Amino acid sequence: MLLQGWEAFFFYGLAITVLFMAVFTVSAKNAVHSALFLISTLIGLAGLFLLLRAEFVAGAQILVYVGGILVLFLFVLMLVNIRDDNQNPFNRQDKIAFVVSGLLLGAIMFSVYHTQQSGFFKSKPTDERAVIESAKPGPNTGMISTDTENVGKTLYTKAVLPFEVASVLLLVAVIGSVLLARDKKQEETYD
Amino acid sequence: MMISEMWTPVLALLQQEPSGSFGQRLVQSFSQASTTSFLFLSAILFTVGVYGVLTRRNMIVIFMSVELMLSAANLNFITFSRYWQTQGNEYAYNGQIMTIFVIVVAAAEAALGLALLLTLYRNRETVSADEITLLKW
Repeated sequence: MLLQGWEAFFFYGLAITVLFMAVFTVSAKNAVHSALFLISTLIGLAGLFLLLRAEFVAGAQILVYVGGILVLFLFVLMLVNIRDDNQNPFNRQDKIAFVVSGLLLGAIMFSVYHTQQSGFFKSKPTDERAVIESAKPGPNTGMISTDTENVGKTLYTKAVLPFEVASVLLLVAVIGSVLLARDKKQEETYD
Repeated sequence: MMISEMWTPVLALLQQEPSGSFGQRLVQSFSQASTTSFLFLSAILFTVGVYGVLTRRNMIVIFMSVELMLSAANLNFITFSRYWQTQGNEYAYNGQIMTIFVIVVAAAEAALGLALLLTLYRNRETVSADEITLLKW
């Protein structure tokens, strides 16, 4: 897999945006700013997913993360009154944590580098003949990508059981969060 | 070249004989991105998330850092999915399915975690991870 031309240009642009926004997410003093920077990070990641021809996941990312989870974060941030008493937003472990995460980064980078040096990634330009038939545009679809079709096929044939389990998980999450988030007065009224 | 591909554009810029304008050379050197570049980006994102989880005091920001780490894993899954598509593997789309499940679990986790946080705030008037020490010995 090798992105060339404009795709590579967009990759580097999005990569730099995503990295800076991630660093700002972690380092922003105000938690609301963190949430907004996280939104930017996730939108940039959705753009990267588009570059990787994963349109469905890019759409799901924007709908679920940006439209759902981040709105939830902002709601909770506004319900929870954070006292801004000029306290350092980082705790006392920040130096040792920097070393630990630096070592982790070094380990991951080394393993990726080693894998690449061992010739695991055949990083030649995309050979259209090697791409499986199902990944190509169909006869009646013109140049429209068949990514969503293939994701749907895989989801409903190979991954049916996890799909159903995921629905139960979401039900548990809904009931559990309603049960947890009610206050004392509501509990006394309904118990 | 002994240095990994992520830095290739920068090195090429430094080593190239000056041919053409600086803008042309800049465009040329940044005209390629490989699987490894995506993996490096994902590694850096994950590490930034780890640093946030380890150091922040506000528990809501800790949750956001966890979301960052999950997104880094998602990027890895999608990258390998695309890589196997270009190599003609019939299981290539499993990576995207996995990412969808990660997003589902992240949504459930965020809902439950934030509900727990609200309950905690009602009882203790704080969301700082340093002040929640009841179970600490």
